[in-house]
Amino acid sequence: MVRRRLARMVAAMALIAVASVVALAAPAIAQEKKIKIGVVYDLTGPFAGGGSDLHYLGAKIIIDYINAHGGVEGYMIDPVYADAQSKPDVAINEAVRLIEQEKVDMLLGFYASAECVPTAARIEQFKKFMWITTCIAAPVLENRHLKYVFRPQPYGTQWGLASTEMLTYYSKEVFGKDPKDLKVAIIHEDGAYGTDVARGNVEGAAKGGLQVVLNEGYSVTSPDLSSLVTKLKRARPDVILHTGYNPDISLFLRQAREGGLRFQALIGHGAGYTDYTKLKAASGTDVNYFMDVDPISIWEVKPDAIQPELRPIVQMVGDAYMKARPDTVLKSAHVGMAASNTWLFMTKVLPRAIKVYGGVDAEALRKAATDLDVPDGGTMLGFGVKFEPEESVMSGQNNRAYPVVIQYIDDKSYVVWPKALQQRPPLLKLPDSSPYAAK
Amino acid sequence: MFDIYLLEAAINGILLGGVLALLALGLNLIFGVIDVVWICYAELIMMGMYGMFYMVSVFHVPFLIAALLTIVLVAAMGVVLHLLVIAPLLNAAPINQLLATGGVLAFLQALATVMFGIDFRNLGIRLPVIEVSDMYISYARLLAFGTALAAMVAVYLFLSRTYTGTAIRAIAQDRQIMPLMGVDTRRIYLVTSAIGGGLAGLAACLLVLQYDVHPFIGLTFGPITFMICVLGGLGNMIGGFVAAFVFAEIISVAGLYMDLEWGYVFAFVFFIVMMFIRPRGLLARRQ
Repeated sequence: MVRRRLARMVAAMALIAVASVVALAAPAIAQEKKIKIGVVYDLTGPFAGGGSDLHYLGAKIIIDYINAHGGVEGYMIDPVYADAQSKPDVAINEAVRLIEQEKVDMLLGFYASAECVPTAARIEQFKKFMWITTCIAAPVLENRHLKYVFRPQPYGTQWGLASTEMLTYYSKEVFGKDPKDLKVAIIHEDGAYGTDVARGNVEGAAKGGLQVVLNEGYSVTSPDLSSLVTKLKRARPDVILHTGYNPDISLFLRQAREGGLRFQALIGHGAGYTDYTKLKAASGTDVNYFMDVDPISIWEVKPDAIQPELRPIVQMVGDAYMKARPDTVLKSAHVGMAASNTWLFMTKVLPRAIKVYGGVDAEALRKAATDLDVPDGGTMLGFGVKFEPEESVMSGQNNRAYPVVIQYIDDKSYVVWPKALQQRPPLLKLPDSSPYAAK
Repeated sequence: MFDIYLLEAAINGILLGGVLALLALGLNLIFGVIDVVWICYAELIMMGMYGMFYMVSVFHVPFLIAALLTIVLVAAMGVVLHLLVIAPLLNAAPINQLLATGGVLAFLQALATVMFGIDFRNLGIRLPVIEVSDMYISYARLLAFGTALAAMVAVYLFLSRTYTGTAIRAIAQDRQIMPLMGVDTRRIYLVTSAIGGGLAGLAACLLVLQYDVHPFIGLTFGPITFMICVLGGLGNMIGGFVAAFVFAEIISVAGLYMDLEWGYVFAFVFFIVMMFIRPRGLLARRQ
């Protein structure tokens, strides 16, 4: 009798113990929910050193931070990092592998436009959600009416328009010439990115009445650009508008210097010109007073121009960046771009998809992204977010994003255009100390 | 009417030709003797460029000493490549040899990425520029051009005036019969691989003055170097030398009058046409 009672008591205690374990485990099981994200950047190949590795770093800093702070609405982020190897075919294959084999819920990242254009279409075929942090060429979205591809970044044509708008504005004041007499040369890498920015340059020059004396593309892997230098010498431009990646930019600058090319100003357009540390390592102080078009660096946005809750995140990204790359001379806008765009997804799109649309599938994410209506100051990059609707020519493009023109002066960078954000007026004529200065 | 820019483009073409001729020289020598194409030749140059970068910029070794060490280093890499990869495949089908050296190419790119990272690096040395009227001639390229000429002459003299050189030429003519004449083919192959590697090292010393080094720099030069070797006739060193200048002039002068990429289009069209007209190379005798 006693034994039976004891057995009952033990059984009851065991039941309670099991129930307790189950009860305790329940939140843990809820915590197990995760969104699997394929994160694709170029980690090897020429684009890696050309800026892609810095975008990878920016995205990773945010993903790590989000996970360290408990994830998003009960979902942990499970990133699967993939290397596109600076090759479009590899980018497509990796995206397909991530979708089919790794079973990711969505893809994020993509640096090179040459990879982005075909990969976006492929991902759309799978009806998977794609969040582009970087690549800017208009053809990624233009006239494609993609449903699941979103880009918070400004697009390439805007890059080309920004530099020419600035030149038109300052033509008379600085150069003492009517815009029609100001000679500009447009040179660019001949991929989707360079071609799109050059299109903006041509459009902007036509709008402002600038005189385009040369418009030419070249291959990023070209072993020699001396013919281009000779042509530029013959065309005698006042200003060079250049779009390129890193190895080609340093080759051009070196051969331009050796070839005796002179000009009054050079304006780069992102990619290789964004990373001042590498630019300076390749060309030394020759790059002093060069300009660059890009979204504003998150470390140069005036603190009162962004929402207060973003300020500590900007600080955190900067600290993590310097910890990862302690030899950085000037924090590159690359890292901030990817960080801001990844943060935007994690804090505005993903929570809404989970809370309002009930999950992390492509449809829920698409609806959440489409709903997004972030006013200016709502991102670390300063601009707001509203995506073009599906019927628009630029469906999925953030129509509130814009780039700025910055100038590198003595290891510091300043926003010099547009006027509203100007930290100082641009120095549009290279000083005599520059080896490229037109005497 | 005299066009100074055309003259400048022509001179630039000659100087680019010097760079390409130097690249083609070692590759041609190896193919001519061992009958194996080192697809990874440009990657050996890349390793040499890294060697120069670290010795000069990090360990502050004087440039000339670093250059000598680099030549020796890459020559040793050539020997190791022969012993580990080429020698076991000497009698294999050519496609197997190509795949093996292609594997070495991927290995060296990956190794460089792991060892040196993805950053672009350069020596930061700026050589003076020669200014004539409104023309500017790069001293670094002039140096490459002069060195290519000197290396060509040196290799020619070595092959024609020395016993080992004669043995190398003899093996190039008939690999099977020479062992029967008492020639140690293994030693000759090693010497040839060392010279080929040494020439890659020499090219590295000069290229590092003109280009940033990164793990994928070989992609810039590899394909064009092979085309030049084929255009000149694989294994024909003088043919390769001439082909380099023809190729470079087409690229440079056509690139002046049209879009830069058209220069390459014309050069490649010329290559294809010549493959029909002279499939054994520019300087090959008609059979």
